[in-house]
Amino acid sequence: MCVTERAALADLSDSELIRRFRDGDEFAFRALYSRHTPRLRMIVWRLLGPRRDETDDVVQETWMAGCRGMHRFNGDAKFSSWLTTIGIRRAQSRFSEPTHATTEPLDVAASVAMDGPLTAIDLERAIARLPDHQRVIVVLHDIEGFTHEEIATQIDIPVGTSKVTLSRAREALRRMLNDGVSHVKG
Amino acid sequence: MSKDEIKMTELDADERRVFAALPCEMPSVPEDEERIVQSLRSEGFFGRRRFAPRPALRLAAAVAIMLGGAVIGSVIGARAGTRTSLEAQLARDDLTIAERILLLQRAGSAYVQAAHAYADATAQTDSTAVEVARQVLVGAAHAMVRSGLDAGMAAGLTSVLQDSTVRRVSRQPSQVIWY
Repeated sequence: MCVTERAALADLSDSELIRRFRDGDEFAFRALYSRHTPRLRMIVWRLLGPRRDETDDVVQETWMAGCRGMHRFNGDAKFSSWLTTIGIRRAQSRFSEPTHATTEPLDVAASVAMDGPLTAIDLERAIARLPDHQRVIVVLHDIEGFTHEEIATQIDIPVGTSKVTLSRAREALRRMLNDGVSHVKG
Repeated sequence: MSKDEIKMTELDADERRVFAALPCEMPSVPEDEERIVQSLRSEGFFGRRRFAPRPALRLAAAVAIMLGGAVIGSVIGARAGTRTSLEAQLARDDLTIAERILLLQRAGSAYVQAAHAYADATAQTDSTAVEVARQVLVGAAHAMVRSGLDAGMAAGLTSVLQDSTVRRVSRQPSQVIWY
């Protein structure tokens, strides 16, 4: 497939690419992959926290599960949201497993306490050190912009639980960023 | 305190600014894409129905291809046949000497073939076949004489043909078996 044809595919809507993928078009899949993987990868990377070295495995699992279940995608939701939900659940499935990493990633292990103004790097480190269930809510709500109702559907919890968890997660983040407290209560 | 009564911890302006500054995308890795494509391919996701149109469509396509081929073939064949037919060659006045020699050979071969075919088809039922063939040959010999191409050969040929006619007339008709 030439560059022009690839560019033409990149202009197609998700629904058209999905239709073509269902018909066995490899390049339609590649176009979908190129379009949605950067965001999916970022979300999964953040959700995994100290398990970030498993990011690419989770992304692959997400795409494989998505492709196998593509016939169930009816277009009611945005494809990106549908795929993200699969990615979130795949990432959550890793939470119950022991961390394979013998040491925390350097950017996570570094102290998050700071004296100067808050930076994105500080915030990333603090988010990574949150308990898994709090980190999920912070990432989905405060970074990805999902509503509590959407989060409740995505990870199958009550809306109230999502709100409470977010509130506690924000408090925990503040403590880490202001005091350098590494131990956070759930 | 119930969950509805809880006082939400809100982000301050500085925190909101930093949250908004966090990157939303992480570039994908080409090797990962290939890994996934390989996995999907091994599970048979690609190329399944790509070239499997509906049966009616396939039939229509086959008929269209066949008719198209027939039309193109007939047009090309007719053009080639017209250009190279004996009649077309005879009508041309731009042939070289070598081409005219070849044309004479073709015409001669055509005569022999036509005579054979005519004899095969009519010898047992139509006695004029032999006479027609002979007359054509005599006519050809005369034409050679008129054209100055004979070099004495035409007279000899005419004589042979006339002798053959005399012998045939004086001879009792014999039983000829044609295979």
